[in-house]
Amino acid sequence: MSLFDATFLRKLDNLSLITRRAMVGQLQGERRSPRRGASVEFADFRAYAPGDDIRQIDWNLYARMERVFLKLYVAEEELTLHLLLDVSASMDWGEPNKLDYARKVAGGLGYLTLSTLDRVGVTAFGARRQLPPLRGKRSGMALFDFLTKLPVGGASDLPQLCQRYARTARIGGPLFLISDLLDPGWKDAIAALTTRPFEITVVHTLAPQEITPELTGDLRLLDAEGGEPIEITADFETLRQYREHLVSWRAEVEAFCSGRGIGYLFADTGVPVETFLLDHLRRRSVVG
Amino acid sequence: MPFLAPLALLSALVIGPIIIAMYLLKLRRDDRAVSSTFLWRQVVRDVEANAPWQRLRPSWLLLLQLLLLLLLAFALARPFLLTNGISGRNLIMIIDRSASMTATDVPGSRLSAAKAQARQLADQLPDGGRATVIAAGGQMEVLAASTTDRRQIYQAIDAIQPRNGGGSDLSQALTLAAALAARESESEVAIISDGNVSVPPDLRMPATVRFFPIGSGAQNQAISAMALQPSPNGQLLFVQVANYGSSPAKRRLDLYLDGQLANAYELEIAADGERSVTADVPATVRVAEARLAASPDDALAADDRGWAVGAPEQPTTVRLIGENRFIETALGLLPSIALTKSAEATAPISATAQPAVTIFDRTVPTTLPPGNLLFIGPPRATELFSVTGEVDFPTLRPVAADALGPQTILKDISLSDVSVLKASRVVPGSWARVLVESDGGPMLLAGERDGRRIVVLAFALQNSDLPLQVAYPLLMSNIISYLAPGAGADTAQLAPGQPLQIPADAQTSAVRVTLPDGSVRTLTPRGGSALFAETDALGPYVIEQLRGTAVTDRRRYTVDLFSPAESRIGPQRELAIAQASGLTQAVTSEQVGKEEIWRWLAALALLILIVEWLVYQRPALVYLRDRLRRS
Repeated sequence: MSLFDATFLRKLDNLSLITRRAMVGQLQGERRSPRRGASVEFADFRAYAPGDDIRQIDWNLYARMERVFLKLYVAEEELTLHLLLDVSASMDWGEPNKLDYARKVAGGLGYLTLSTLDRVGVTAFGARRQLPPLRGKRSGMALFDFLTKLPVGGASDLPQLCQRYARTARIGGPLFLISDLLDPGWKDAIAALTTRPFEITVVHTLAPQEITPELTGDLRLLDAEGGEPIEITADFETLRQYREHLVSWRAEVEAFCSGRGIGYLFADTGVPVETFLLDHLRRRSVVG
Repeated sequence: MPFLAPLALLSALVIGPIIIAMYLLKLRRDDRAVSSTFLWRQVVRDVEANAPWQRLRPSWLLLLQLLLLLLLAFALARPFLLTNGISGRNLIMIIDRSASMTATDVPGSRLSAAKAQARQLADQLPDGGRATVIAAGGQMEVLAASTTDRRQIYQAIDAIQPRNGGGSDLSQALTLAAALAARESESEVAIISDGNVSVPPDLRMPATVRFFPIGSGAQNQAISAMALQPSPNGQLLFVQVANYGSSPAKRRLDLYLDGQLANAYELEIAADGERSVTADVPATVRVAEARLAASPDDALAADDRGWAVGAPEQPTTVRLIGENRFIETALGLLPSIALTKSAEATAPISATAQPAVTIFDRTVPTTLPPGNLLFIGPPRATELFSVTGEVDFPTLRPVAADALGPQTILKDISLSDVSVLKASRVVPGSWARVLVESDGGPMLLAGERDGRRIVVLAFALQNSDLPLQVAYPLLMSNIISYLAPGAGADTAQLAPGQPLQIPADAQTSAVRVTLPDGSVRTLTPRGGSALFAETDALGPYVIEQLRGTAVTDRRRYTVDLFSPAESRIGPQRELAIAQASGLTQAVTSEQVGKEEIWRWLAALALLILIVEWLVYQRPALVYLRDRLRRS
């Protein structure tokens, strides 16, 4: 099974991830780094100190001032894209399925990042699977393979998983959290990620059946993650209150994110994933 | 509350637990998997916090359904209330439709109240019960004969119209009812009337008779007599107004002469009293009308108008065969009578002057002439009756009379103290009604045969002291009034419903009758006379005899309700009718009627059903309300 067809992948080739600030990488790459390094773009001067590479001394300046300065250049390093995928049971629901949608979003983002010499690491929350960072366009197949074979996890504790990830991540970089956030601790989860220099974007994935539930009658709702069942009478009034509540919850999540400089993207799985990747993300300047 | 089918209550015991069980089953909700109950949890918390009664709503539905079940089970058990009514399976309803039933002392009229009562009784008939509807008053009519079809019964009841004529004689109806009741068991006779009726004394009803009295008030004033007589100053109008109520009344009497208001009188009439008004009116007046102005003290409007007509334009011709001074004198006193005399019955009768009445005094013709006949002391048999000899010193005994038909001849007259020397022994045909009886045979008979009226007085005037009695001129006047209506002393007044025989000679091609409402009936005379029976409407009638298109004779008649029996409208609470059970009174207020109330329960159940549905569909209603508010 392939996540995308070739035509779509070609379209992704033309895109690249936009980062709002320079990030520290490990290898030479194409991204601006906060470090000084070897590129053609001038950054600063610095007084020579013994041990410095004499190849970087600006001889023209020495001639003029008779003092030795080093000419510093902007380093261009690679990025490491962190894709955090929520594969808990609640994500494996909906029509179109939220988990499939999340896989495709992750695949798309990962592929276009790989095509720009950056590194991509995927972590599946809830299934305890991790793909070590990949690099290079040829790794695309490995990424897709990993995503396709990702199993559905059980109940997961989103805040705890986020905390552990923040502690163990070796390097910062852009981070996408793809989740439905249907967890009472969603605030703790997002807040835990902000403790590291990640440039976080939350992709809030919900199915159309969650946005406008099609329920009638007296029902007992069973939680996919094994929570306490709940009894409702799905009449017009109840559904109206649900919708009102959902709208205010989304607004709350968005406000929480923007207050912490976190990007918020809402993904309705009723919208084709191609449209989401090529159109919505570009419009929100996540890719360009 | 008693029930007709109490076993049906068990249905509630059976179905009730089923409903509750279904409800308990229904409470087991459908399981539905959702991604997370995270969002729902807060919604439910909101709902429970906002509207605690929402949790009660399902039980509202249960409550309504149980109520619905109870109502329906109750309705099936057919509860009833005991009311005034009937308990039999074969109901014979006699509904009084006489003039007094048009009184408006009850809402609508007494007749409509009677119809409502009749419908209620028909409702109380058990399934398969039969009903007969008899309208009494005037000519008795059987409108529905022993039918089980409720629709037909209702139609028959609705079809009853009031009759001015014929009085309130229940004897015919009761006799029929007795015959019908004897045929079937569980029969009941219901009389719906104001009680001002005459009942045959010798009747023994083989079933329970229930009397449903109608009416509440007795206040009524009426024009009780009216006459227009020639006088030296033209004509003299006499109007008598009677107060049949129990309190004095003050009424205005309007007099109309030929349709024009001529005079008005304010009359104060004592309770149960009378006042009369006389007035001179011009000789040219043809029709006088007296009208009592409408008053709330008067419940019956039919008797508030009276009419009288003046002397006819053409006198009635009466031919006397034989010589008799007594008869000539008596007839000479009557207005508008033209008397012709001839010694022989065989004398040729000119076609133009064919007499309306021919009197045979102590003689009989070989062939009977056309027109109405009066035989006095007939010596021989004729084709109408036979004479088998003579009776010496008969004692005259009037036969109990009931005021209608030929009996009007004996109105205001008693012949019991007339002495007779000898009389013919007359054996009457079946047409005759005997008015005065004696040991040897009938003394005075009257009747109709082949469209003509015949009166036979069995003794010659010379053989009795009748001509010397006060009764004699009255008797002659009554006989002439009977034989030639419109000619006697009470010139041309008819009781409602009384048929009018119009003598018509051979040349008359048609008789045209103009009714009070202006409509015209054309009759073809047959055998020297025409019969007009449509005289139920009160008011003046004009009768014209036509030869081709030319009017040869015009007479006016009035139909007046001068009937104390009908005008005395005070309702009777009891009715004496002997029954086979030994009772002599009709049962009036015994609570045996079963008024079923399942219809009301069913209607209530329907209402509950609608409420239950609305409660069930409340979300849709809220949705509709929101839509309306948005638009």
